[in-house]
Order: sequence, then structure tokens, then C-alpha cells
Amino acid sequence: MDKNRVGINQIALLYLLSIAGGKFLTLPSILAKDVGHDSWLVLVFGFLWDAICLCFLLWAIKLNQSGKMDLAAILNKTLSKVVTKIVMVLFFVIFIIRANILLASCYKTFAVTFDVSTNWIVFVLPIAFLSFFAIKLGFNAIARTSQLLFGIIFISVLFLVLSPVSQVKISSLLPIGEAGWGKIIGDSFLRGFWFSDYLFVYFVWDSIKVKNNKVYAPIMLGFAVGVALTVCMNAVFVALYGSMASEFDLAMSKIGVYFVSNSSNGRWDWLTLSIWLTSVFLKIIVFIFCAYRSLEKLFEFNPNKLNVVALIFIALTLMLPMLISSETVLLTVVAWGLIPFAFVQYALPISLPFLTKLANKKTETVKNE
Amino acid sequence: MKENSLKKFLKIFDGDDDVKIRDIDCGIKLTVVCLDTMVDDKKVSDYVLQPLAYVKQAESLLEIRTKLATGSVVVKIASIASAVENFTNGYTLIFDNGECIAVDTRTTVGRGVIEPPTSMVLRGPREGFVEDIKVNLTLLRKRLKTANFKTVNLTVGKYTNTAVSVCYIDGIADKAIVERVTRQLQSVSTDGIMDSSYLARYLDTHKTALFRRIGITEKPDIAVAKMLEGRIAVICDGSPMVLTVPYLFVEDLQSPGDYYENSTMTVVSRTLRLISVLASVLLPALYVCLQVYNYQIIPLKFLVTILNASEAIPFSPMAEMLLVLIIFDILREANLRMPSAVGISLSLVGAIVLGDAAVKAGLLGAPAVMIGALSGIGLFTLPDNTLVLSLLRLIITFLGGLMGLLGVTLALMATLLYMSSLQYAKTPYLAPFAPNIPQDRQDAVGQNPVPQMTKRPRSIPTDNKTRRG
Repeated sequence: MDKNRVGINQIALLYLLSIAGGKFLTLPSILAKDVGHDSWLVLVFGFLWDAICLCFLLWAIKLNQSGKMDLAAILNKTLSKVVTKIVMVLFFVIFIIRANILLASCYKTFAVTFDVSTNWIVFVLPIAFLSFFAIKLGFNAIARTSQLLFGIIFISVLFLVLSPVSQVKISSLLPIGEAGWGKIIGDSFLRGFWFSDYLFVYFVWDSIKVKNNKVYAPIMLGFAVGVALTVCMNAVFVALYGSMASEFDLAMSKIGVYFVSNSSNGRWDWLTLSIWLTSVFLKIIVFIFCAYRSLEKLFEFNPNKLNVVALIFIALTLMLPMLISSETVLLTVVAWGLIPFAFVQYALPISLPFLTKLANKKTETVKNE
Repeated sequence: MKENSLKKFLKIFDGDDDVKIRDIDCGIKLTVVCLDTMVDDKKVSDYVLQPLAYVKQAESLLEIRTKLATGSVVVKIASIASAVENFTNGYTLIFDNGECIAVDTRTTVGRGVIEPPTSMVLRGPREGFVEDIKVNLTLLRKRLKTANFKTVNLTVGKYTNTAVSVCYIDGIADKAIVERVTRQLQSVSTDGIMDSSYLARYLDTHKTALFRRIGITEKPDIAVAKMLEGRIAVICDGSPMVLTVPYLFVEDLQSPGDYYENSTMTVVSRTLRLISVLASVLLPALYVCLQVYNYQIIPLKFLVTILNASEAIPFSPMAEMLLVLIIFDILREANLRMPSAVGISLSLVGAIVLGDAAVKAGLLGAPAVMIGALSGIGLFTLPDNTLVLSLLRLIITFLGGLMGLLGVTLALMATLLYMSSLQYAKTPYLAPFAPNIPQDRQDAVGQNPVPQMTKRPRSIPTDNKTRRG
């Protein structure tokens, strides 16, 4: 059996968890710095661009059901091998940076919130090993684990969103669009690096199992729920902290403070927070899986055997935050790479249905000949 | 067979005083051979010797086979190897020159059908499998009076020649799985099979499988119920444990009594089992990591109680908890090996005296002992995986003590990833939860009333998905 085989419902759940996992740590304070209390609108627009790309991506999934080609094969057939290699390098860089930024946020959460101060290597290596273990087991195991954890993560997120609701002053979010719509829309492009959680789909492209041709409904539902949760969480955070929101770079651990009415009851919100953190770990695992797969396509090594050199290389790249802080990465690498990253985040999914059609046509022609 | 086959055959058993030989002249000269300890003397007398004694003029062994030998099973033997196999299984052989027939005269020495000690029920059938494969097959046939109940008989083990039967219901069980299991058992090359658990190791070829992927049952009603869901049963002579494949993790949550109780009560019981297993695995780790790193999570009153109780303990919380868990595991292991007459009382005294003395001496804290004991008892709600979960509990506690909530989370995720990757014959181990199969949840943790279960589980490959309707 293909160990990376994944059902469309499993993709929908994993996508939902990916949207919700990771956007509640440093992103809310960054957006609050950019546009103040309108930060939730940046998320809305960011997700709007995602929704458009997602429609094209799902169309491409449907078209690929007949040929079942992986992304590299489609790009090889339609563009060229060189373009495929460049795209794979871009993917590798995106996933490694994203994994590093998430790891840095988690590291901070554990150090600040949970008082577990350790050095970066000791913190990252167990997570890296867990990710490598997941790569060995295959994407199918990751998708099934997300199914198992989904219920409890979803409940904990709901709990964290709803617990401070009574303290929220909706008036803090008004007037809407105060920062200026141009700035808000512009910021949703500038912060595009944080979006496009569907990127992982490229790396299980040929292993997606579609039943009764139902592609749109489950994934769009997952997307809608994920977006609703994320936007709500951000709005609640900004409404709670107002102008101070930009100062708290670990939004999720701050939002839970309002859950505790009496300190003698204990910080039960931390338990729900740690449950939610499993979705962040899942997201990190997915990113490292995709980084490994992009190396696999780049150097064309045996997909059935774990490549130790690639794993060591990935482990070394995860040590980068020891040399360069995540803030610097966001200000420099991500800023420089905005346009190339936009190519794989936005241009590729939009063009993918046409590329898939072309690749299918070429395969047919070769078969007929 | 050749003319000197009797000589060859007897040479194989040369020096074995258990072999009984008798020459009979009934028109043709016959030699009757049997293994004294493996045959029932009355059967030998009734089915072989008496009919032969009354015959004056038999013409051939064929006539004896068709007319005279009165045993229910009389087979013609084609080779020396086949003769040896039947002979050691308790068949009586009748030789005439180069020809040979075997009459079933197997003894039925063994214990009677009693309630199995591992699966006692308040309500429901109390019969249990025994060590005799024939009796076990009878117990299944009693419940499956249909021509669709099929068995494939095999012999496994170079020296033990153990009889093994692969049982399934034709039209329900997936043929590919039947073939797979049969092929796997046929390819077993070993000196001997002592118990069905030996076979389970050959069926489960996953080198690092921590969790049991082959089901076992001692109850024929459970075996039949599983076969009706499309599973295959493997019976091994000499073992009261019948194997069932494919096996799901959720089956360990299900007790034989569940199906004879009200389904609402069953849901409550199963939920309790699930909670107790989760608590057993996680409670010691949470106790340690909350005490060491995240004590703020614990309500103040609890925290004060815990701190008061563990103030004078000379060990760190992690060492203290690991000590408690290891002591509990030692007691359990010792209890298994103690004679049953003293086992229960000694283990109870051991647990109480050791625990009490350790707390009074200030070596262990009362909360740690209580959590260790609770966790230890809770594990037994999943009897098939108790040992694995016990090991898992130690590892998670160790990581919790080392890395706090991060360690617990990562260990738990690694376990779930590993369990999610397991499958046997296209059956995911964690079905119906991962992958999510809503239809199969009718009998997972929850349970629909039996009349509403109209479909067979989708997670198990079958040739017929509909039970009725």
C-alpha cells in the first residue's frame, strides 16, 4: 500500500488544523503592529486569496484523478526539469523557514508560559526525530493521527476562544477599516507568507483518494471552519488587549488568562493550551515532511527508502535560529522572497489545473503513439 | 507405497516401546500398528480389531477399508511421511504388503469444556475452548450449523506435527485474507508449535509491532461472532486460545459480556474502560510534570496536599513515580508466577504492606502510591495490551519528568503516529477512528442495539457487507 495515501476528508481535517495551528502565536501581534485593531481584517483578506487559489487547486486535484501524476511529473512534462528543480528549492526554503518560525514560537511558549527553559538543540531535536519518524511511517499515519486528535484539539480551541468572550468589548474593534483598506489589503499580501496552508497538498498530490468525485465540499468546509476559528480568535485577542495587543507576541497563552477567574482553581487553560499545541506540532511535522519530499524530488532519491543524508540536512537547517533570530528571518529572507514565494503560493495553484490538463494530454498522446 | 514400506515404517520408530504391533490373518496377512498413548483402546478394539477378528476371508485391503473397518474416518495412506503423520496423531495403521490404511482411533484425553478463566461473564454462554482441536471445532460447529462454515486443515511443526485449522464463513470472509493466512501458516518452518501464540508471531510479520495485531479468544461465541463479521479464526491443537484476524485496537475495549447486556450499559462500561486506560497511561506522567514544571495548573488545595505529602521524600517526583510503577510491575509479574493458592493473598499483602511501609518510612509519597496503584489497576481494562501500555506509561512518565508537557505531548504523538501506521490485511489498526469510518462506530466505544447493526464492519474486508435487510 502507498504509505502516503490520503483521503479527501483527511486532507480537509489536516488543513483545518494547519490553519488553526500556528496562527495564534506570533502572527496576531505582528498584524496588530501593522494595522492595529483591524488585524482580523488582514486575516479575512489573506484567507480570501487562499480561497481563490484553493478553488483552482481542488479543480486540479479532480483533473489529476485520471492520470495520478505527482507535482514534479506535471511540472516536468509541462514546463521543464529546470523549472521543477527551482520550484522544489523554493518549496524547501518556504517549509524550512515556516517550520523554524513555528519552532521558535513554540520554544518561546514553553520557556515563557510553561517555565521549561532549555537550549534550542535539546528542544528541537525531539521534535525533529518525531517528524522523521512520521516521514518514515508515511503521510497516511500523519493524516490518521490528525483524525484522532481533531476532536480534542477542536474542543480546546473552542474553549480558548469562548472562555474570554464575556470580557470582550466589541467596541474595541470599531471603527472597521480605520487603518485604511489599502493598507489592510496590502498587508494581507505582505504577510502572505503566513497563509497558503494548502501547500502540503502538493506533496501528496498523486496519493489523494477521492470518493464519488467529492472534492470541493469537505475541503471547503474544513477551510471555512479553520478561517472562522482563526478570525474569531484574532478578533477576541485584539478586542481583549486593544492597543496593547501588539506587545504580546504569544497570543494564545495570553488569551487564556481570562479563562481563570480564581487563581486557586489552577491554570486549567494551560492544559487546553498544551492540547492545542499538538496541532502546532502536527503542522511542524507536515512542514518537515514536505521539506523532505521536496528534497526527494530535487535529488530524485528512492522514495521507498529513508534518505539519512537528507534528514541530517533538514536537522541542520532546523538549527538556523541559533544563528539568526526568527524576527530577522521574517524581516529579511521572507521580505526578499516575497515574489518567488508568491509564485508557489499563488501562481502555481492557479495555473495547476491548466498544467495538469496539459500533462494529461501529453501522456495520452504518448500512449496513443 | 512399496512392498517393504512396513519395514521402513517400523524402522523409523525403532526403539519406541510405545508402538504396538499386532499381526492378524483374515484371509490376507495384515499388520495393525498403533501408538499406545495416542489411541483410545476402545476405539481400536471396536473400529479395527473386532471387525477384523470376525472376518475369515477378506480379499484385499480395499475391501477392509470399504466394508470392515467401522471407524468414521478411514483413509488410504499414500506415503511413509503421511503414515507417520497419521500414526503420531493417533490413527491406527493397517498394513498389507505395500498398502496401508489409517483408521481414526484418536484418544480424547483432555480437560472438559469449562468457563475460561480469562473471559468470565455475568451473562452469556460459559463454554470455553480447550486444548483439543476437535472439541474446539465442535464448539464452533455447534454455533455455525451451515455448510458455509469452512475449515482448512494444516499440519505445522517439524517434530510436533501440530494440527492447525483455518476457519471461516464462506461468502462472508474475504478469500484473499483466507489465502494469505493459509499461505503464511503453510510457510511456517519450525521445530514445534506449543501454543497458538507461536502461530500469531508468524502471522504478524511486522518486525517491530508493539501492539498485538492478532486477536485471541477463549470463547467460542466470541470467535463465531467475529467470524460473522468477516474475520478468520485459527485453531491450534494443544491451545485453548483461538486466534482471530484481522484485529482492531478497539476490540480490546470490548468485553465478551458487552453483547449480552443492555447497549446503554455497554456504552457506559466501554467509556469507563477508555477513560481508565487513558488515565493509567497519562496520570503518572502528568503528576510528575505538573509537580516539577507546571504546578500552577494544579488547584491550590490539591497542590498544598501534594506538597505536604511529598515534602520529606528523598527522591525527585520522577524517580519516585518511576519507583512506584516499577514496584507495581514487579508485584504483577510475581503474582503471575506464584501458585494460585498463595498468589492473590500474597500480592495483596505485598501491595498493602510495601506501599504502607514505604509511605510511613518516608520513602514514597502517598499521592504517588495512590496514582501508581490507580494507574496499574486501570491498565487491566485492556487485557490484551496491558504489558505494552505499562511500558508506554514508564516511557511517558520518564519524558514528562525530563521535558514536562512537551515530553508528554511528543511521546503521545509518537505513539499515535505509530499506532496509526499499523494495519493487517488492509485493516487499519485504529479503525473506526483513524481512518474515520462512521458506520463501524455502531460497535466501537459506543454500541447500537443488535437489531440496528444491519451492516458488517467496513474496516474488515468481507465478501458480503450486509448482515440482513
